[in-house]
Amino acid sequence: MFVSDLIGDPVVDRVQEPVGRVKDIIITLGETFPKVTGLLIKREDNKKEAVLLLAEVDLIGPQFVATKSIKSRIIFTELREGEVLLERDIFDKQIVDVDGARVIRVNDLKLAKVEQEVRLIAADTGLTGLLRRLGMLRLVNWVLKFFGRQAPETLIGWDHVESLKTDFNKGYIAIPHKRTAELHPADIAHIISQVNPDQRKELFTSLSEKTAAESLHELEPMIGAMLLQTIDTKKALGILEKMPVDEVADLLGDLPPERTEEFLRLIRIKKSAEIRKLLKHHDETAGGLMTTEFITLPRSLTVEETINRLRETAPSAETIYYLYVVDETERLVGVLSLRNLIISLPEKRLEEVMIRDCITVTVEMNQRQVAEVISKYNLLAVPVVDGEGRVQGIVTVDDVIDLILPPVSRRKRQMLG
Amino acid sequence: MMRFLRLPKFSRRILIFLAIMGPGIITACADNDAGGITTYSVAGASFGYEMLWGLLLITIALAVVQEMCARMGAVTGKGLSDLIRENFGVRWTMFAMVILLIANLFTIIADFAGIAASGEIFGISRFFFIPLMAGIIWFTVLRGSYKIVERVFLGFCLAQFAYIFSGFMAHPDWSLALRHTVVPSFRMDAHFVLLLIGVIGTTITPWMQFYIQSSIRDKGITVKQYKYERLEVLFGAFLTDFVSFFIIVACAATLFKYGIRIETAKDAAVALGPLAGEFAETLFALGLFGASTLTASIVTLSSSYAICEAFGWENGINKNFREAPIFYGLFTFLILIGAGVVMWPQLSLIVVMLLSQEVNGILLPFILIFMLILINNRRIMGKEVNSTFYNVIAGSVVAALILLTAILIVTSLLPV
Repeated sequence: MFVSDLIGDPVVDRVQEPVGRVKDIIITLGETFPKVTGLLIKREDNKKEAVLLLAEVDLIGPQFVATKSIKSRIIFTELREGEVLLERDIFDKQIVDVDGARVIRVNDLKLAKVEQEVRLIAADTGLTGLLRRLGMLRLVNWVLKFFGRQAPETLIGWDHVESLKTDFNKGYIAIPHKRTAELHPADIAHIISQVNPDQRKELFTSLSEKTAAESLHELEPMIGAMLLQTIDTKKALGILEKMPVDEVADLLGDLPPERTEEFLRLIRIKKSAEIRKLLKHHDETAGGLMTTEFITLPRSLTVEETINRLRETAPSAETIYYLYVVDETERLVGVLSLRNLIISLPEKRLEEVMIRDCITVTVEMNQRQVAEVISKYNLLAVPVVDGEGRVQGIVTVDDVIDLILPPVSRRKRQMLG
Repeated sequence: MMRFLRLPKFSRRILIFLAIMGPGIITACADNDAGGITTYSVAGASFGYEMLWGLLLITIALAVVQEMCARMGAVTGKGLSDLIRENFGVRWTMFAMVILLIANLFTIIADFAGIAASGEIFGISRFFFIPLMAGIIWFTVLRGSYKIVERVFLGFCLAQFAYIFSGFMAHPDWSLALRHTVVPSFRMDAHFVLLLIGVIGTTITPWMQFYIQSSIRDKGITVKQYKYERLEVLFGAFLTDFVSFFIIVACAATLFKYGIRIETAKDAAVALGPLAGEFAETLFALGLFGASTLTASIVTLSSSYAICEAFGWENGINKNFREAPIFYGLFTFLILIGAGVVMWPQLSLIVVMLLSQEVNGILLPFILIFMLILINNRRIMGKEVNSTFYNVIAGSVVAALILLTAILIVTSLLPV
């Protein structure tokens, strides 16, 4: 039974006397398949709206609704604040379909009798629902029958739908998936950018700090910065803690200076010092892109000692596929891939196995040139050095991937109408 | 990037303004498209300065209506078709979308007529030029970069500013023009009424409301930044009609004075004569070409988006044909119809351009009524609901258009 069939139904009492017409359906949220608790009807006698509790209803079907008692003995109640009405609150609202990461709409809702109760079991998001609402489904199906076909149904079970209630414009956004956290951060970012600011905040706060941190990196910088300002500071700090310093710096760079300063004061001292250093560099240079979480190793270390040291220090570095070897004055003398390290004999010293010709970029180098270097030499990361050849940070391939890919593949929706 | 937020307060303000500038100015330029230029030209050529008073009132109405949409976009973060669907249900949405589709289809046809007319001034046959431009629009918008299309044709639109200079150089009767700007005059004949509907319909169009609200949403402009956007929208409305004003003045001082009736686009170009002399036709054609191509692109794209969003169909130029068949189908259909109608050999391009704006004017009240209901709903707008002043202005546009349409029907039925 579909809600659109039920709305407008005549309501009669046990002796077939007209009582009114169904205007809307009331449910209580909370359970997986929400229970229908009553009907909002327009009364025949005084033309006013009243609530007919389901306990008063004997029969409920697409043709009519019948009450248990006779007209004069029916007890009506009033609509209470905060009750959810199917047509008013859920019909036509957006559903973010996570499978296809796209936004669709609730065209109709399917109800079913489960034991003694009527429950909301699915959302109809397809053409069938649309046609049914327009009262044209039968006509279309009649035509299609000649071709031996039927209008296809697209139902999403309500158990896959999660509602996000926002305080301002009371839009329901539902996610046909149990946990958003199971999604890839890039998909979450995509969904976040598709919904309105209110829902954005709601969705974002519902994520775990780790997931939020990862999806924040995938978002457009403007949206990311805006989100960071709307959520509460404690949560924001937790998220920032989980992000690599270069991404934090990028994000804070887009905030108003007062806010940046506030965050920097609250972030752990060691991390905030690194962020401050990064913030000084211009956005579009190697210095602005780089992260300061990388590993340098003295050239006198042996392969075995190196592997042991990596076990202790690696978790905080962004990439360990390249290890940078430095001399006593911290100048870069060579590079070593993880592969080189593993296949070398344990007692060899790093300067014997490292590659001496090291590709580097300077702090001031433009991001496009950095991207060219990375793409030309097929690198996963490139070290950024200062005038004396000391490593200041590294730029990893994911920081410049957008500059390497052709514009078509990162083209976003540019206008909507 | 919002790096500029670190700058001192004043320059920061200016930069924020420049960064969010766009929707208002683009709409303003696209507003004086083929239908716009033609309608204003015919208004000036047929009735001299007589319709200027209307333009003054329309400017205020335009600013109010555009501001309403921009505000709805900023407050709700949703497009106009989203809001209509979520608050009026499927049937009303269907109704609104059919209205929008008809109005936009006429606009697209008019813009292709504008492209054809500008081509003919350069001696290019429309049977060659129209399929070529339809192909170019289809390809660049869907497969190229819309941003580039927007910038290139915005450049062409600058040619419209020639009307301002030409208006001065034609030595119009300023005292008469100013009197007509403030003192309304009216004629009870179908030609006048229809043209007045056209002037309103070409200045305030249904598609603009959907377009501007979506642009605001896509730019992620929030209530806080909204005060800057408001400035831009108001400035855009003023700019549009500033140009429109001079189109009418230039036409009144040239075409009307010598009693020339506009039958082809070439005739309309005469109004640029005082400024450009023998290059008037070239200048006219460039402006017409730019505005028509820009508007044809915007309107086809924005109609496809609006309709797909309203019904929850997949949309977006970053999706492929298989993922968003209806979106692409609609876009292609609109271009085919727009270009196809103009290929009809006996068709008078001027008549098409004029007619489309009148259809827009007749259909506009429906969309405005939807907007008025939405913007006065506290559940949607919170404390940003319309003030009484705004309601009165927007309400009078609705009333005026319905009244004019009624007069039009009566006057065309009754023998004069």
